[in-house]
This record gives sequence, C-alpha cells and structure tokens, in this order.
Amino acid sequence: MVLESTMICIDNSEWMRNGDYSPSRFQAQTDAVNLICGAKTQSNPENTVGIMTMAGKGVRVLVTPTSDLGKILGCMHGLEVGGEMNLTAGIQVAQLALKHRQNKKQQQRIIVFAGSPIKYEKKTLEAIGRKLKKNSVALDIIDFGEEEDGKPEKLEALLSAVNNNSSSHIVHVPPGPNALSDHTYIHGRWDGGSGFAAAAAAAAAGGMSGFDFGVDPNLDPELALALRLSMEEERARQEAAAKKAAEDATNKTSLGDDESALLQQAIAMSVDNPDASQSTGIADANMSDADDQDLAIALQMSVEDSGKDLSAQTEMNKVLGDQSFMSSILASLPGVDPNDPSVKDLIASLQGQPEDKKKEDNQDNKEEKQ
Amino acid sequence: MSIASTIQRSQVDLQDFVDWSGVECLNQNSGHSLINALKQGYRDDDGLHLESDADEQLLIYIPFTQVVKLHSILFVGPEEEGPRTVKLFANKEHMGFSNVNDYLPSDSAILSEENLKGKPIVLKYVKFQNVRSLTIFVEDNQGSAETSKVQKIILYGTTVETTNVKDLKKIEEH
Repeated sequence: MVLESTMICIDNSEWMRNGDYSPSRFQAQTDAVNLICGAKTQSNPENTVGIMTMAGKGVRVLVTPTSDLGKILGCMHGLEVGGEMNLTAGIQVAQLALKHRQNKKQQQRIIVFAGSPIKYEKKTLEAIGRKLKKNSVALDIIDFGEEEDGKPEKLEALLSAVNNNSSSHIVHVPPGPNALSDHTYIHGRWDGGSGFAAAAAAAAAGGMSGFDFGVDPNLDPELALALRLSMEEERARQEAAAKKAAEDATNKTSLGDDESALLQQAIAMSVDNPDASQSTGIADANMSDADDQDLAIALQMSVEDSGKDLSAQTEMNKVLGDQSFMSSILASLPGVDPNDPSVKDLIASLQGQPEDKKKEDNQDNKEEKQ
Repeated sequence: MSIASTIQRSQVDLQDFVDWSGVECLNQNSGHSLINALKQGYRDDDGLHLESDADEQLLIYIPFTQVVKLHSILFVGPEEEGPRTVKLFANKEHMGFSNVNDYLPSDSAILSEENLKGKPIVLKYVKFQNVRSLTIFVEDNQGSAETSKVQKIILYGTTVETTNVKDLKKIEEH
C-alpha cells in the first residue's frame, strides 16, 4: 500500500515487431503495462502512473503521472513501433517527470521494459543507477525480447547500482506465450499488498473465482493469512528459480534436480529438529493455527534459503508417492500459478503420478487459464 | 563581548521544535540515517552517525513545528569524512541535488577541524529570522573521502512566538 508515483518506460523499437512473445512483443508489452497500471492504481488510490516511450519518434512522455486509469490506458492506443531505444535518455526523462510530480510525498519508481539490445557500456549504466539511488528513485527492470551476450549482466549491474534495501527489482522473461503478463503479474506481488489486487484483477479477467487462494478469507482467516504469508516469502525464491528455470527450460533433468533439492529440504525439515530453522517461531505460530500439514510444510520450505546444491534424485521416487509433499512442490514450481483454483484441484486429485506428466498438466492448466 | 555572550546564552537547542515526520535526507545510507545525527539520545551515541550513500553529498531537509530564528549550527564529525562545505537554505521545500545550485544559499560555511570538534558556526542571523524549514547541503568532506559522515547536528536559535524562559537551557561557552 505504498504511496508511489511510477513512470513506465515502454520500448517501442523495431525489435518489438518480433513474434516470439505472442501475439507480438509489443502487444505483450502493452498487456503487461495495462496490468501494472491497474495494480498500482488499485493498491493505493493516490498512486499515480505515467507512461513514456523510449524509441519511436524519440523519448516522449505520453502521459504525466496521474491516477486516472482511463487516461493512462487510452494513451497507449495508436502507438507505433519503430526506431531505436534510448535507455539512458529514457531513464533521465522519467526521473525528471517524477521530480515534478504533484504530491511530493510519493515514492518515486521507474519501470523499464528492456526489449532491445543495450548498446551502452556497463559504466554508463552504473553511473545512471547511482544517480537514481542518490535521488531515492527505485527502478524495476523487465528484461525480455532480444537475448544478447552481456545484456543480463549489464542490467544486473544497473540494478545493483540503484538498489537500496531491495526496493528495486529485475525480471528476466524468456520467450513464450503470455510470458510477459505472467511475469509482470509476479512483479505486482513485489509491492506486497498491492499484489493481491493484481491477483484479483488477473483472476477476474480470466473468469475465475475471485478468492486469492481458493480459500474464503471470511470462513477461515487464519488459513488464508498463513497461506498468504508463505506465498509472499515464496515469491523471492520463485523469481530466482524462474531465472534458473528459464536457462534450463528444455532440460527437464535439471528441473528435476531442482525439485529433488526441494524435496530433500522438505524431507530434512520434517525429519530434523525444527530448531535448525531461524524463523521457526513464525512457522510454528502459523502451524498451530492451521492444522493443515501441507501448509506447515509449505511454510517451512518458504522460510528456508533456496541456496542448496543440486543433489541426486534417489529419494525422489519415494517421496513422489506422498501427496502432501507433492502439493508443496507444486506450489514452488516455477511458472505454476498457485492462485489458480484449477491447480489447487489438481493438487487435491494428485495420486503420485509421474513427475513429467504432472508438469505437463500444469502447463496445460496455465495455458487454459490464459 | 559580554553582549554577544548574552545573546548566545538565550539560544535554545531547537531539537524540540523539529517536525520529525517531515525530516528527510537524500543520499543517506539506510543503515546510517539522519536520525542518528539529529535526535537526542541517538546523536550522543558515538556508535551512531549519519553517512552518505552513493557519493559524498548529502541533502538534509528539516521542517520545524513553529517559526524559529536560527542563530548558529554545530556539526560534529570525523576528521577525514566530516563535512567541509556546507550550504544552508531557509524555507526552501523539497530541494533536489539538481536544483541545489540554482538557488543562492541563505548562508554557507566551510568547516574547519575545530568546528568538527564542537565549535558552533555562527550564522548570518538576519537571514534566518523567519525559518519554517531548513535545508542543509553538504557539498564535500574534509578529506575528499568517498562518503561523508556526521556524528551530530545541533541547531541553536529561538522561537519567534514565545520564548519560554523555563525552556532556556544554558549552552556551553566556547
């Protein structure tokens, strides 16, 4: 619910004609921008959002930060693709636009869609990052589109120069159908509370039930709260996992290793003394409220660090048969949307199917939902 | 001489009149924030100080709960990283690093080592008669270090509406 003024920098360069994100990169970007605008304005009515282009005719502010959602969405209509992206000028203009915001109490944030290759040196980007940090402007980078050597590194360098107390983030989005919207949906969760508005918006758009976790908060508030806590903490880990999964997208064995590592953790946690974990107090408190064993495991897993090494898959078969473990694994799978009620149904009906088939089902469900 | 010291004696530590909800500091390191240098209790703790983040400049904005007259200001900081060139702006809201050079400062000072040890800087009193908010711009530090550190900032002055005699605290003679 942070009071924020956001400038969204759109990449409308020639590279956006490509169709590797369906229907085209530019369309996917537009959808993602719409999502973000909706989430921001919903999370706090005083939030303002502005839009500007970095390519095309030049760096141009389409709409200055305003809380009028109709105006914001309307300005994207009729945008043309062309030209080359000017990242540095774009960020500087965004900073200037934020500086002249009407309500000085709003936190400043810039969201950049980086789809074309970055022609700047790392040093230039870091200097810009430092300048942003000095003026306490947070920066979110969405790295998609052209995959070029050194692009992720340059953007990571920019992020680390800007980042102050994890207020800035980066998302690397691999190509695929609806990938951008999903990832910006995850991005919406970075704001904590505002993410739930995004969840409701996305779920409503998909024609699904409006409940966040398939659990009515009125009927069982403690369970809903405990689930929400574990989901929030899961997000950070999921982003890291999403990044890794993007690299290993076609390599199922690696994903399997990732999962087995998680399984190992889950096994270790249930076997070992819970004192080993730092925030067990929270987990225990929540566990005492929610008698659901699945929930307890999910909570414990989300509390642990995700830095464990990949190990052998020997115990995987043993554990696959156990439904409760599978449900928690599913919750942590990259690309799976835990809010999707159909995924929840899947978990409930799971009877130890082979891991690959289950993953296919999840992908199908995800695509159905979109 | 004695008249000067009488004026000095009637000055009060303006810490009580600072509007803490509006206090801001740009380019501060989040672990070492302005409160460490400004607030009673924190500033006296030698372990706590205000430190800059991305570079050595700092922009401190202090609003007051009522109108005050500012007489002098005291900075305490380490030898190398303590502030050197300091510019003060009265009643300028929401300044940024980009427009700090656009306005003429109400007063500016170059701090010496003595100042950093505890000698207050007497300001141009006439410029600070009607102060609602104060902006302090630390331009550089003594030793051109990467970051600037400030241990304490104390503002001396009087309030405009009333001067409650009970509130008068005797300050050290220098």
